[in-house]
Amino acid sequence: MDQLARALSGIVGPQHVITRAAELLVYENDGLPGYRLRPRFVVAPGNRAEAIAVVRALAAANAPFVARGAGTGLSAGSLADGIVMIGLHRMRQIYSIDPVGRTATVEPGVVNARLSKAAAPYGLHYAPDPSSQTACSIGGNVAENAGGPHCLKYGVTLNHVLHATVVLPDGELIELAAPRDDEIGYDLLGAFVGSEGCFGVAVDVTVRLTPNPARVCTMLADFPALDGAAKAVSAIIAAGIVPAALELVDAGTIAAVEASIYAAGYPTDVEACLLVEVDGPAAGLDDDTAAVQRICRENGARAVRTATDSSDRERLWQGRKKAFGAMGRVAPHLVVQDAVVPRTRLAPVLRRIGEIAERHRVRVCNVFHAGDGNLHPNIPCDGNDADEMARVHAACREIMEVCIGEGGTITGEHGVGLDKQPYMDMLFSPESLDAMCRLRDAFDPARRANPGKVVPVRYCREWNASPSARKAVGAAP
Amino acid sequence: MTDAHGPAAAHEPAGTPDLADVVRAARAEGRGLKVVGAGKWSGEGTPAARVRDGADQVTLRRLSGIVAYVPGDLTLTARAGTTLAELDDATRAHGQWCPLCPWGTDDGTIGATFATATTGPFGAALGRPRDLALGIEFVDGEGAVARGGGRVVKNVAGFDLVRLMVGAFGTLGIITEVTVRLRAIPAADVTVLIVPAGGGVRGASPPAGAKWPPAAGSSSIERDAAVADALIAAEVAPSGCAVLDQHDARLLGVPAGAVVARYMGSTALVRAGVAEAGRLGTVTETDGRFWTSYRARDPHPRMLRGSPLSISVARRLKGRFDPGSVLNPGILGEDAE
Ligand SMILES: Cc1cc2nc3c(=O)[nH]c(=O)nc-3n(C[C@H](O)[C@H](O)[C@H](O)COP(=O)(O)OP(=O)(O)OC[C@H]3O[C@@H](n4cnc5c(N)ncnc54)[C@H](O)[C@@H]3O)c2cc1C
Ligand SMILES: Cc1cc2nc3c(=O)[nH]c(=O)nc-3n(C[C@H](O)[C@H](O)[C@H](O)COP(=O)(O)OP(=O)(O)OC[C@H]3O[C@@H](n4cnc5c(N)ncnc54)[C@H](O)[C@@H]3O)c2cc1C
Repeated sequence: MDQLARALSGIVGPQHVITRAAELLVYENDGLPGYRLRPRFVVAPGNRAEAIAVVRALAAANAPFVARGAGTGLSAGSLADGIVMIGLHRMRQIYSIDPVGRTATVEPGVVNARLSKAAAPYGLHYAPDPSSQTACSIGGNVAENAGGPHCLKYGVTLNHVLHATVVLPDGELIELAAPRDDEIGYDLLGAFVGSEGCFGVAVDVTVRLTPNPARVCTMLADFPALDGAAKAVSAIIAAGIVPAALELVDAGTIAAVEASIYAAGYPTDVEACLLVEVDGPAAGLDDDTAAVQRICRENGARAVRTATDSSDRERLWQGRKKAFGAMGRVAPHLVVQDAVVPRTRLAPVLRRIGEIAERHRVRVCNVFHAGDGNLHPNIPCDGNDADEMARVHAACREIMEVCIGEGGTITGEHGVGLDKQPYMDMLFSPESLDAMCRLRDAFDPARRANPGKVVPVRYCREWNASPSARKAVGAAP
Repeated sequence: MTDAHGPAAAHEPAGTPDLADVVRAARAEGRGLKVVGAGKWSGEGTPAARVRDGADQVTLRRLSGIVAYVPGDLTLTARAGTTLAELDDATRAHGQWCPLCPWGTDDGTIGATFATATTGPFGAALGRPRDLALGIEFVDGEGAVARGGGRVVKNVAGFDLVRLMVGAFGTLGIITEVTVRLRAIPAADVTVLIVPAGGGVRGASPPAGAKWPPAAGSSSIERDAAVADALIAAEVAPSGCAVLDQHDARLLGVPAGAVVARYMGSTALVRAGVAEAGRLGTVTETDGRFWTSYRARDPHPRMLRGSPLSISVARRLKGRFDPGSVLNPGILGEDAE
């Protein structure tokens, strides 16, 4: 066993240090096919004190590391290339739920859906609901600033995190709190959320809990033309309605879902369906429902189905929620992509994506958070077919170029990780990328946390300046 | 005021490159720069008043105007010196608004509102600057121009320079451009005066769970929050509310102890909200312009609990974004240490 592994065994117990190749296999990739890297070993602390001690031991050994939650990430962000991986999956304790203040404090490994379940007896839930919510961890959500269908109305992870205790890579423990309206200070919590494991390890997180809405109404609108569905999205938002969720499912996705065991009764003869949910107090909900139906029809919807009881609603949601699983059955692998365009550009962008897919002979299934303009062009493929994967990557690159050209961005919720790094300089100037490096350096001057992710190192001026500068940065207090 | 390098100068750059030149020159000469938007919040007792004597002044008023606005996207990009009033004029024409409504007046600039992260009476319900900022451009303390975020409503590309600049009081960079999230102006927008039934506000009985009554000696922000909690525990929450002490009540022409609440949304929703407010006392509709005077009048001091630079990460940020302490020197209380 390697010496560092032995030292860490003393903190977490030998059974929680994984060194054998066969056991490391599951830690070699995340949810995105095409990337596989083996960590030096995995160390899994069981509580906050152990996690802090582990990070401090790594600091003393000057060893770089990668934190990992549930490994559901879709940007190859939690992969460790021959360095130590800190697995946070054992830290699953919900410390407290405060039903009056509507907050919960949890360990980072707590699974998203489990927190909502624990809050349910109080009529509360944790609002950010990534489609992976039955598996992904709160720590991973914080690190990725995760979104989900209901973030359209309720906001993304950033808007729900109130406090985090973070061990900086040099071992210092800091408390990051949401800024107060009557104080002055840097929004270090805001900077930490979405930092993709590069700023330190969150060892506990306090989040806001949201009261369950009094009423919910879910609608499924069938659009013979994709263009009409895209236009309806803009029209609904422009009318001042803020749906709880507004999701688009295209023909390719519907075909996959309806051919699977998850068949949800979506029509297979349309180009797209919109899944629209409105919620809130009973008052005004009928008005919103009627307005959504009218706008959908005005934009060419053939029919709008409405579900108000929970079993009907679940059925309508099933087509959306099981889409990834269903697509996974179409081919051995599924490349889940993520990009954002201004809402009004959805229709032309979807058309361009269709053209790109055709040209590269790949199949793109779109199922996404349309209300935010957050696209997920997903490509079922065979990860072992080199020719097909080359075409998949070429198509992904062109899709990113189209989104950037339309004033959009390369990721709305899955992060940059390794996968999106090649696009960073298409989006940001060298000076902007250098500024991001400097932000990261303030948290991790020695760059030992998740090295080589998010911003390509060649854009970090100070780091590249000279070996002595590099040393000076590393030695900063 | 003078310092070793001669009398303080005043700069009014007309563009980001000019501003970057001003910063580079100041850095080279070891001079400080006092950053000014419209200069409306710079009197005694404000954070701006702490800026070290002798700093040159750089005013952003000429760096103004709307850069991009696609109403259908509900996003708008404006230069930092654009006033909130100008922003409002542009968006209102399309039935939209940016719900910042910060403490102060609409003569203030958008750059300052984000740099100070000033919230207002509707911040909790409609979004604070950190929630409404989508993209940012700034000039750091060495004259480098950088951008974070973008023009779309959801974005996790790269480390978050937007949240870094919002609330940094110009000490890590001078904001030159901001992209904000807009909202459609609601169909109904009603402000009501709630005169509590018997025993003043404290006698009213809000739903269980609310922090009520507000603690004695609490600040006006805390008092507003307590009432908001009470009203928010109702099914239809107001977008904001105000509890006035006797002095302010007299000044703003409302009965002392009264609660002013604003309901926004669809007509049916607002009607229901106003009906629920009736549980706290007698409700009468009042003029929405109350909020303009309330925002300008109500003092919500921003405190320094020690210098933010006492935190290691903050100190390293300052060292990497403004190593020469050019930007707003002294504003974070660093001189008091
Ligand atoms: C089927 C499917 C659907 C998905 N749907 C969505 C969706 O709707 N919305 C969405 O936003 N994402 C979605 N995702 C992506 C993914 O689930 C999220 O990014 C999630 O937040 C990752 O959480 P995790 O615990 O799996 O993190 P991991 O994959 O383990 O790690 C992700 C990153 O977080 C860092 N990290 C983890 N824990 C910590 C910690 N405690 N401290 C510091 N850094 C940490 C890691 O270093 C890594 O960089 C989906 C994924 C799948 C497979
Ligand atoms: C009467 C009144 C009362 C107010 N009360 C409060 C209050 O109680 N609480 C509160 O938080 N705010 C308060 N404000 C502040 C206000 O909400 C805005 O922050 C301010 O009005 C913005 O207007 P300005 O352009 O005049 O800012 P200025 O007075 O020009 O600047 C305010 C601060 O922001 C910095 N700044 C300005 N522009 C930039 C930029 N582009 N980049 C970086 N830094 C910049 C300045 O250095 C200065 O420190 C009040 C303002 C007024 C007029």
